[in-house]
Amino acid sequence: MNKNDLIIRVAGEGGEGIISTGDFITQACARAGLEVYTFKTFPAEIKGGYAMYQTRASAAPLFNQGDTFDILCAFNGEAYDLNRSRLRPGTAFVYDGPGGDFEPDVPEGVHAYAIPMTQTARQLGSIKAKNMVALGALSQLFSIPEQPLREIIAAKFTKKGTTVLESNLNAFTRGRELAAALPKTDPWKMEASAQKRDVVVLSGNDAIGLGALIAGLDFFAAYPITPATEIARYVARHLPKRGGTLIQAEDEIASLAQVLGASFAGKKAMTATSGPGLALMGEMLGMSFMSETPCVVVDVQRGGPSTGLPTKHEQSDLFMAIHGSHGDCGRIVLSVEGVSDCIALTVEAFNLAEKYQCPVLLLSDGSLAFSTQTVPYPEPADYPIVARKSWDGKGDYQRYVITDDYISPMAAPGTPGGMHIATGLEHDQNGEPNYTGANHEAMQAKRFRKLDTVVNDVAPVEVDGEGNADIGIIAWGSTIGVVREAIARLRADGHSVKGFYPKLLWPMPVEQYEAFAATCGKIMLPEVNYLGQLAHFIRAETSLRPVSYTICGGLPFTPAMIVGKTKEMLS
Amino acid sequence: MSCAQTHLHKVELETKDYKTEAKPFWCPGCGDHGVLTGMYRALADIGVDPNYLVNISGIGCSSRLPYFVRSYKMHTLHGRAGPVATGVQLARPDLAILVNGGDGDGFSIGGGHMPHLARKNINMTYVLMDNRVYGLTKGQVSPTSQRQMKAYTTPYGGVEEPLDPVLYMLTYGASFVAQTLATNVKMTAQLIKEGMEHRGFSFISVLSQCPTFNVIDDAKSFKGSAEELQENHDVGDIDAAMHAVNVAHKNGKIPVGLLYRQERATLDERMADLVKQAGGHPDYDLHKIIDLSRP
Repeated sequence: MNKNDLIIRVAGEGGEGIISTGDFITQACARAGLEVYTFKTFPAEIKGGYAMYQTRASAAPLFNQGDTFDILCAFNGEAYDLNRSRLRPGTAFVYDGPGGDFEPDVPEGVHAYAIPMTQTARQLGSIKAKNMVALGALSQLFSIPEQPLREIIAAKFTKKGTTVLESNLNAFTRGRELAAALPKTDPWKMEASAQKRDVVVLSGNDAIGLGALIAGLDFFAAYPITPATEIARYVARHLPKRGGTLIQAEDEIASLAQVLGASFAGKKAMTATSGPGLALMGEMLGMSFMSETPCVVVDVQRGGPSTGLPTKHEQSDLFMAIHGSHGDCGRIVLSVEGVSDCIALTVEAFNLAEKYQCPVLLLSDGSLAFSTQTVPYPEPADYPIVARKSWDGKGDYQRYVITDDYISPMAAPGTPGGMHIATGLEHDQNGEPNYTGANHEAMQAKRFRKLDTVVNDVAPVEVDGEGNADIGIIAWGSTIGVVREAIARLRADGHSVKGFYPKLLWPMPVEQYEAFAATCGKIMLPEVNYLGQLAHFIRAETSLRPVSYTICGGLPFTPAMIVGKTKEMLS
Repeated sequence: MSCAQTHLHKVELETKDYKTEAKPFWCPGCGDHGVLTGMYRALADIGVDPNYLVNISGIGCSSRLPYFVRSYKMHTLHGRAGPVATGVQLARPDLAILVNGGDGDGFSIGGGHMPHLARKNINMTYVLMDNRVYGLTKGQVSPTSQRQMKAYTTPYGGVEEPLDPVLYMLTYGASFVAQTLATNVKMTAQLIKEGMEHRGFSFISVLSQCPTFNVIDDAKSFKGSAEELQENHDVGDIDAAMHAVNVAHKNGKIPVGLLYRQERATLDERMADLVKQAGGHPDYDLHKIIDLSRP
């Protein structure tokens, strides 16, 4: 394995500073010019329970969290037990000892380093500094750049006073000393990149918030729900600076209701939720489609059904995203691959919502929500912004007039002569209730036919590879990043493999699916859900018969899993 | 508290100017006709510019009302007029927001929203048209139906206690609470006018008889039970308001008039302060926000 592609996993009890330790490592690596891709799990409860933060860092671009770690730092016995089976010859293993709550039976070939984290922190007068001892040791052992780490620690603790800062820096230094006294036997070493990059480090959730600001978000309403709440946190912090409005609603029904109200009033509006919240919004999505009121709804998917696995990864809301709501209800569904998409496709979601005056759903997922990644500095001016079609004030206004492109101009309240009703009742071109069969058929056709051009409005689906291949892999969401790496490895092994990475999931770019399939022997579709949801839609809408490869264990795929399955299908 | 009524753009119009071509679809004798007449008068008395008026409703007989009012309007989902109106109001505090709906819409399916409209003091006027029955689905008991009511799904008589919307709204923190009868168009018009002029969440309960499905509460029984508040009733005293409602209950009466009015900041005003504190401006440089995420 490339020594410049390292994965460090820090694990222990929630509340012990696991997450902040991982954050320090991540930020330091990014400062040193490396690409980072992180992966975290934490318990659904506030106190206690197993927490894990994994940082993958490399000088080369990264698309996923990797197969498994090269370095494990265990804060307690539970963390060790849960990760022991992944220790393999060559892995470096740093643990709390002596004085910790466990004594590991280190497997052969594993490079173990005992650092008395708890004991040292106690000696220094604060058990809270345990993670700083660990961070110091990791920094010394694996050359995680010391200077950036010290700067980041200072930035974090300065506002808490010099005593706290000193205590943390002392613990960090002591950790380095303890590690320096041990002979280094493993080969792992973080090497700073010579290349200076203009990047930002963002989590998927924060990036969605940023994308919304770039798109010109005016109004945000949401109800707290794991794993989507950080979007509201980011927006709450920054939207007031732009003069916008955020409201925490009493439930998800109210969230989307408020969004539709704001949108009717002429503003760009969105909400963000997870599966349970989206389920509650079903009826209101129909109102958005029927009344042709633009809205953006972000669904950060988690394990379902019902309350399910609130903090775990799954891609299982596609059925609901595409068809959730009663009656024939159209919408546009996008899904993001990584943090960079979280910015770009959120802007795209607003553009499509404003242009097509319909609900636009943006699907993210539980692992991406908290995964921090380096992305090129997003220059706001580089993102095109689309405004809704506005009434020109000429003649008699008809809110739902059937035009050449089936999109009717909108008039915001305050526009003289633009008075109209936005209604969920079936209506004629004036908005007046009309239940005749002929009118319903004509108006349904209007609302659906305006969506005919969506497929041509977004970038064509990315095809990974050229010519013919023995096997084609279709992936969506954060699974795409895993497939990218798997395909690179398969090609390096001499296999003929192509990838197809749709971001627009609905309406489906059917012709592009067909064209891709025509170049592939077999089609495989890995997705993190039980039923094979995208595969279902592909079978329904195209002639493709993909082989579903589904998992739903609360974790994303790894590249090795995709490589294994592909080889199995090829043999 | 500023007296500037920025949410009321004014013009000079007559009541007929607020009527649309659509004819009300309610049954003859329905109280909703009276509420609509009172509403037209209130709008004309204030001189609300219809271009800056947004009339929002949910689902039910009374929720058809916006079709008959010249304004911008939204006919939303059952129970959801309140939160939709909240979105319109917060997005555009310069608009006058008029919400109307029935007892089932507001206090059964939409009951979860009412506390939040009130406590957040969203600047809108909510006119409850309470006929104590579900009319559009042909006569089932509602949360305000009297217990003994025999109806579509209660052939042996109802078994549930009714709730009192006015008492709830006082408890939830509404800053303007009033009650009137649909048959008293003058008082209805006056209270809607005062409600719309009030900055904050104004709740006006109008007992609006359903001659088709509610055989217990008709126009006559409402009139017989109505009791005007005492002349010395202090509208600024929440205890007095609660007391008046409780005493009326004990005597089998319906208190009518302005029960309570409180001047307090609306949510949009508080949010505007927040934006001001943050130095908020639509042209705020996004780079300053993005730069915070550099490693």
